[in-house]
Amino acid sequence: MQRRRWLFSIVAILPVLAIFAYVRVFPIVEILRLSVHKWDILSVAKPFIGLANFRELMGDRLFHEALLNTSIIAFGVLAITVPLSMTLAALIYHRTRSRFAGFYETTVFIPHVVSLVPAAMAWKWIFDAQLGPLNALLSVFGVEPKAWLFDPVLSLVCVIVLCSWQALGYCVLIYLVGFKNLPNSLFEAAKLDGASGLQSFWNISVPMLKPITLYVSVITLVTSFNVYAQVYVLASDAQGAPGRQVRVLVLDMLENSFRNYRIGYAASEAVILLLIVLLLTLVQFRLLRERRSRA
Amino acid sequence: MSSVEIENVHKIFGTTHVIRDVSIDVPDGSFVVLVGPSGCGKSTLLRMIAGLEEISAGEIKIGARVINEVQPKHRNIAMVFQNYALYPHMTVAENMGFSLRLARHSKDEIATKVRDAAQILGLSNYLERFPRELSGGQRQRVAMGRAIVRDPEVFLFDEPLSNLDAKLRVQMRAELKEIHGRLKTTTIYVTHDQIEAMTMADKIVVMRDGVVEQLGDPLTLYDRPVNMFVAGFIGSPSINFVGGRIARTDGAAKFLSHSGVRWQVDPRVAEVAGGTPVTYGIRPEHFALATDGESGTLPAVVVTVEPTGAETHVVADIGEDRITAVLRERVSARPGEKIHLRPDPAQAHLFESESTLRIQPSGEAH
Repeated sequence: MQRRRWLFSIVAILPVLAIFAYVRVFPIVEILRLSVHKWDILSVAKPFIGLANFRELMGDRLFHEALLNTSIIAFGVLAITVPLSMTLAALIYHRTRSRFAGFYETTVFIPHVVSLVPAAMAWKWIFDAQLGPLNALLSVFGVEPKAWLFDPVLSLVCVIVLCSWQALGYCVLIYLVGFKNLPNSLFEAAKLDGASGLQSFWNISVPMLKPITLYVSVITLVTSFNVYAQVYVLASDAQGAPGRQVRVLVLDMLENSFRNYRIGYAASEAVILLLIVLLLTLVQFRLLRERRSRA
Repeated sequence: MSSVEIENVHKIFGTTHVIRDVSIDVPDGSFVVLVGPSGCGKSTLLRMIAGLEEISAGEIKIGARVINEVQPKHRNIAMVFQNYALYPHMTVAENMGFSLRLARHSKDEIATKVRDAAQILGLSNYLERFPRELSGGQRQRVAMGRAIVRDPEVFLFDEPLSNLDAKLRVQMRAELKEIHGRLKTTTIYVTHDQIEAMTMADKIVVMRDGVVEQLGDPLTLYDRPVNMFVAGFIGSPSINFVGGRIARTDGAAKFLSHSGVRWQVDPRVAEVAGGTPVTYGIRPEHFALATDGESGTLPAVVVTVEPTGAETHVVADIGEDRITAVLRERVSARPGEKIHLRPDPAQAHLFESESTLRIQPSGEAH
């Protein structure tokens, strides 16, 4: 009986495992393998070159730039999204009696489901130096028009804004679930203890939502480290921006593999990205466990 | 410390009228218990005093001050919630000192007050623990501590013992009463448990459907309930009701049950006209075991016998009416056997069947 149950479980799970292995595990293993080989897509020869790719990466100026830009974007998005989404969720949650609660939720969530490229195109237009409404708006307040997508620093800001705008909806949704799980009597007790709304938020909601915050942070960081399409549409040379404005890791990998035909080299970049994401995830899980161990 | 006056208070949620014209006077330093079945509005009333619900109409005063429009934090009240509502991420000390911290008291002052309160409640060794590391009774005490450190004018308790097991509940009941005796802070306490109400209150307010049914000290409610609801709600095991009418033979009044059994009535209620439909109410302990032939005894067929040691609970049928009697004696009767019970007519109540109001015996004080 026990054995038959086991057998059934394995048979039932096998198809899913097979698909998972093929689309997830196999590519990762393949990347690891390729990263220590030299390969130009076309040739049959795939000589093993050890850690030469990684050694080269150490001195690759473009790679460094991409790594720096990606990190700035990822942490920038994190810094904007997490506090903002928590605040928005708090406002929506505590105003649920409002007739517009559903409208607010939808409004924040729409960017998350909207197709990425058209949304990015819309933002590209907003940031446009000559025709963009952002500059038009700023000029009302007497601010000089800026070349948002051309300036190396400002274009990074633009990417961060776009990515945050997209990530926000999902984070707000997760936070809303968190808020709905907080017992209402805690807020009532705090009210009687003399806490203002802001004090309740800071002393009750923020610490109690810590697990949610950790989850949201991990998701946001990992997603942002894989940023590509937003940058490609908004600020890469392919879309007419001069030079290589915002080089990110994924873009660099693509160029190395399909423009420079250096698959092995690109794979080693992917390995670095994998390690970074892995490390960040581990750090955050450690933080989570620290909280639990106090429990 | 302060008195609390509730005057003609109403609460309306949308189209539901939850509290209807309630007036209660809570004297300074007293312990008043609001009791009633769930949904009777007792918790809503408490939350209105706390400021967690708005007052639809009427006035609530704490001391001389009308607090209808006063923010909860300025009402100078402290509340203990049913689920304690302790802040799970704060230690016991932080939980207790939270209100003082918000009020910007100095660290030393907070520490002193928290230590004093912990002393009263026997929590001194637990100050650095988190709520999840405490037992139910300890959490309950922390919730009380949080209320005590604020030194409020009024304590509000919302079913504080209902999450505890039976033994702990009895123990905490005594502790609460003892603490009240020591601090003498005006206390309003909500419960659905009439035993809690009876044992703790200076004054009980029995509520039903948003209306005060009766207000008085525990024994008055027990001995002279105004209607069948209060009579049935107070007391355990609960009072026996027997339906019937008043019958007069030779001028002397008797109670004639629907199944034709004649019960003696208190001569003081003898003025009730013959034929009036009434309900006879008698508490289980007002039956005595008798032998056949004695006057005023009624034959009863035993249904179950439950010895509790100190006394015996007998469920029996008198005519077609099933009654519970609590007897001092040990009863060896088996189910189906016939025994004789003598109700004490002086302790029995008659209620008008229509209005359910108690017929007041002549000469009884209000």
